[in-house]
Amino acid sequence: MASVATASPRRFWRRLLWSLVFPRARQRIQPTVSGTILIALALCIGTAAYNSANNILFITLSLLLACLVLSGVLSWLNLRGIRWRLQAEPPWRVGEETTVALALHNGKRVLPTYGLWFDFKAVPETPVAEDAPPATAARPKRTRERPLREILAAADRAVTRGRRYLGDRLPPGGDVPLHWNFTPMRRGRVQLAVENVGSLFPFGFLRKSHALDLCRDLVVWPAPVEYRRWGGVAARLPSPGERIRRTGNSADLLALRRYAPGDSHRLIHWKASARTRQLLVRQFGAESQEGYALRFEPAAELWPRAEQFELAVSFAGTLAEDLFRAGRLQAVALGAEPPFAVRRGADLETFLDRLAVVERTPGPASALSTGTAPGHRNLITFAPEGARTVAAYVDGQKTAST
Amino acid sequence: MSTDKKPPPLSLHELQQLQWLLGGVLALFSAWTVFYLDVEAWTMVGLTTLGVAAALVRPEWPAYVPTWVHRLAFPVIALTTLYDLWSAGQVLPAMVRLDLMLLLYRGISYRARRDDLQLVVLGLFLVVVAGVLSVSIAFAVQIVVFTACALALLLVVTLTDAAQGGSAPPLAKANVRPAWVAHLDWGRLLRRLREVADWRVVTLGLALFVGVVVVSGLLFLAIPRFQIESGLFLDRFIAKKARTGFSENIRFGDVNDIIQDDGLAVSIDVTDPRQMPATPYLRMLVLDEYRLEGGFRLSAGLRRATFEAERTTAQFAGTGRGRFAEAVAWTIYLESGVSRFLPLPGPFHLLRFSEAQNVQFSPRLQVVSLRNEPASMTAFRLESPVTAAVLPDAKFTLTLKEAPRDDAGRWRRSARLMLGLPLIGEDQIKLGQIADEILAGNVTMPPLEFARRAGEWLGRRHSYALGSRLPEGRGDPLVRWLGSREPGHCELFAGSFVLLARVAGYPARLVVGFKGGTWNAFSNNLTLRNRDAHAWAEIWNGENAWVRVDPTPGALSAVGDTEPTGSAAQERRLDRSWTARLESLRVFWYRRIVNFDQRTQLEIFRALKAATQRTGARLREAVEQGWRRGRAWLAQPWGAQRAATVLGGAAVVAGACWLAWKFRRDWRWQWRQRSGRRVDPVRREAGRWLRRLTGRTVSAGGEAAHAAVCAELERLRYGAPETWPEPAAVFRRARATAACAPTCPTRRG
Repeated sequence: MASVATASPRRFWRRLLWSLVFPRARQRIQPTVSGTILIALALCIGTAAYNSANNILFITLSLLLACLVLSGVLSWLNLRGIRWRLQAEPPWRVGEETTVALALHNGKRVLPTYGLWFDFKAVPETPVAEDAPPATAARPKRTRERPLREILAAADRAVTRGRRYLGDRLPPGGDVPLHWNFTPMRRGRVQLAVENVGSLFPFGFLRKSHALDLCRDLVVWPAPVEYRRWGGVAARLPSPGERIRRTGNSADLLALRRYAPGDSHRLIHWKASARTRQLLVRQFGAESQEGYALRFEPAAELWPRAEQFELAVSFAGTLAEDLFRAGRLQAVALGAEPPFAVRRGADLETFLDRLAVVERTPGPASALSTGTAPGHRNLITFAPEGARTVAAYVDGQKTAST
Repeated sequence: MSTDKKPPPLSLHELQQLQWLLGGVLALFSAWTVFYLDVEAWTMVGLTTLGVAAALVRPEWPAYVPTWVHRLAFPVIALTTLYDLWSAGQVLPAMVRLDLMLLLYRGISYRARRDDLQLVVLGLFLVVVAGVLSVSIAFAVQIVVFTACALALLLVVTLTDAAQGGSAPPLAKANVRPAWVAHLDWGRLLRRLREVADWRVVTLGLALFVGVVVVSGLLFLAIPRFQIESGLFLDRFIAKKARTGFSENIRFGDVNDIIQDDGLAVSIDVTDPRQMPATPYLRMLVLDEYRLEGGFRLSAGLRRATFEAERTTAQFAGTGRGRFAEAVAWTIYLESGVSRFLPLPGPFHLLRFSEAQNVQFSPRLQVVSLRNEPASMTAFRLESPVTAAVLPDAKFTLTLKEAPRDDAGRWRRSARLMLGLPLIGEDQIKLGQIADEILAGNVTMPPLEFARRAGEWLGRRHSYALGSRLPEGRGDPLVRWLGSREPGHCELFAGSFVLLARVAGYPARLVVGFKGGTWNAFSNNLTLRNRDAHAWAEIWNGENAWVRVDPTPGALSAVGDTEPTGSAAQERRLDRSWTARLESLRVFWYRRIVNFDQRTQLEIFRALKAATQRTGARLREAVEQGWRRGRAWLAQPWGAQRAATVLGGAAVVAGACWLAWKFRRDWRWQWRQRSGRRVDPVRREAGRWLRRLTGRTVSAGGEAAHAAVCAELERLRYGAPETWPEPAAVFRRARATAACAPTCPTRRG
């Protein structure tokens, strides 16, 4: 324990002294053009002062150095007490501009804050998908061993960056949002981060920036695509005795669930709420039992071309949304997984989240996904159509295509 | 509600207008520093002032300047500078004029960020050059005001850039009127500035600026100094003409002209003021050759015979050793325009300049001359100066011994023997008659006796007057004056004495310099003005030395007598006037700033060390004294009442401490609420514990407890207060977890 008591103050002083002579980790200070000129002037005047032992020059040199010190103090005061919060509300879709907000708060009581900038960055989790080269073909050495520089350049191209300036002053105790408009270019997980906060304040001598640990993981849904319907294929009515349960607006009570903000008070089941001591609301069954199940097969065997796979993912997402809006989406599934009932918007969002990150899987396509397995009716599946387009099939019959 | 009442911050256009205003003010201020330089640039200063002021008042006018003017501006400026260099042949004045032309151009054209930066650099050049060449106390004011203006301008430029999204767009064309010009109203801008200025921010800004000045002062004291002894880097680029002062050729009336000037000439700091004579004589130049045109000069022969070769040095040794050895030192500040010959009281042990100089020393004459007249104040320090009126000259003794004599035993007249007399005919006869009258037939009269009698003779025939004139007539003017009863000034008296002494066969010479001065009661130094310029004579004492003779009526000292020193002498010349107050500032500037060197720096550090040691000793003594008192108090007899009082007091103190510890969070919370800092102390404490626990390695088996405590702390830090666990219990568990965890933290990302 004694060592704990003595080591901490020692460490504190050591760190304090070290921080005075060396910038903290992840802090960066670069001289600007004016700063470089100031430093060059200081060097010239210092040389002349030592050369001539002229105290007028020593005074000028001292004043220049003191201005640098003042610049550091004002810069520190400017950044002190600033708090920030990243606000990024889903959904994010490929090709749709999304606004990211950084809520800034000045915690200082007297001093305003000026001239900050924030570096935003959106990093996709996986690099850009490329067509897998043929396994048997002889590949040139340069292609097989891609230079590190190319890999880094490709990764850098996938990263979207943006810098936003705090144009007006941030008054003491005040709040101001800083917006960054960002258009995701591909689906998948994206790490949204605010990399740095920086400033040239007060005199523009030094470009000072601090690295920030401000990030959020988000999912970018596939882009909506346009498709053509091929009429004539209607959903099959359920056979007698077959029961399909999904929510709707009919008079049949389907289930009870917890109250959620926004639910109508008329739906509250008072008896059950009193018994369980928590608010429960009634869910009713749908008027119509007509609906579709959607299954998307990500097998690489089915989708040898990457861009066609991407199109298929977007097509599946678009179709799922359209069917849900029409109240005709019953269940969804990916690959050989069992179907997942879609009763509310959150279920659809879950499916879209999974679609956003789905990748081609090695191995053959399951029989379930081709719509040829017995016992599956009104099942929508997807398959390539030609070299570029994708078609959707209901129970094996083509019903729409891109 | 209070936020709503605040006026909106300055808009982009208002910031740009402020930027224009500050740039113009900076350009004007920089241009006006040329007034402190002896450079022929008045036309350029006037043009810059007019141009920049016009652009400030009517900022739309620069838009009317045609594009071809902007295209031709820089080639024309470059060609003008080249011609200036070629025609005048002086680098520094040409550079100053170039700087002014660029300032003018930048002041009357719309500026981007880099142009404002250029403006600052150009202005700094002028301020620094003016400061280096003038060494005036005005430089302190100039550099502080310039720094304030430049920092304000750079701040506004940064804010303008931020308001424009990080960087201002470049100017499309130099003669396109920017948008901010259309909305310009200086009165409204100043009102807006007053509206948006928060007095607390303004106060803090002023305090920070004062802090900059203080820090720069500390840096000035702390910057390590080395004696490289190079120097003269700016002086060589400018040829300065002497405005007034002493030179090798002094005509009758020159010294009198200097006397008309009341300006400061010399300031002297003395380590011990009591050693300063009541009326000190400062020798600057010895003049041996009398010319028929009227006046004395330093002859080329004497110069060759007595002056050493020129050298560049910051210090050199003299021939004297004062009465007080190392304890005595004079620091002399010679103003510019006085002379290139340094004022010296007599022989000295060591002469040290504040920076290296090109210097020539004559040990026999005790005269020091610089190569050029200094463009700025020159400071030097004399170690162990001698203020005696007698100047030994062993070499002259030898010269006289070897010199040929006539039948009467007198030396033959020779310039080398300081007996040169170019008078002929009646002038020589008239002079001989006067000398005979003084000698009264005693041809072997001792030199000092002759000097006394000659002084008396001159005093009887002539009175002292500054506004004297030489009588009209033929012949030598000095002989004419001797023959008349006209009043005269010091040059006439001293010159006449030299002629009389020489005609009588006594080697004599004229000396010019300063005499007298006042003692500044505020800065505690001797001040000599130009009106204290004086001429006197030196006569050979017949043995081994030159003796000072001041034949001017009213001279206090007798022939060869040393001036009285001490407190009484100092009291006689004390100056407590307002002028003395103002000059004390100038002396402070010279003493503490301009003349600051490595030695002074070491003295300050030693003084600081001594003060620290004294304070430490006092503290130690106070602690020891307290300890002794405590022991004495404890050793007193303990009765029941005394014990109860002490125990009660201790209990009260302990209780107060316990209460303070127990309710520290509540009190802090209330204080923070009152002061507007509404951060819950529980959340703050939880955050503190989280920081302590987050980076630590966890001992085996303790992961679960560590994670549980961290989760509880996170709930306290970020969760709703209704969901909080008991804070005190959580902090106890956190303390226990921290105690169990190893002290070495893991590396944080």
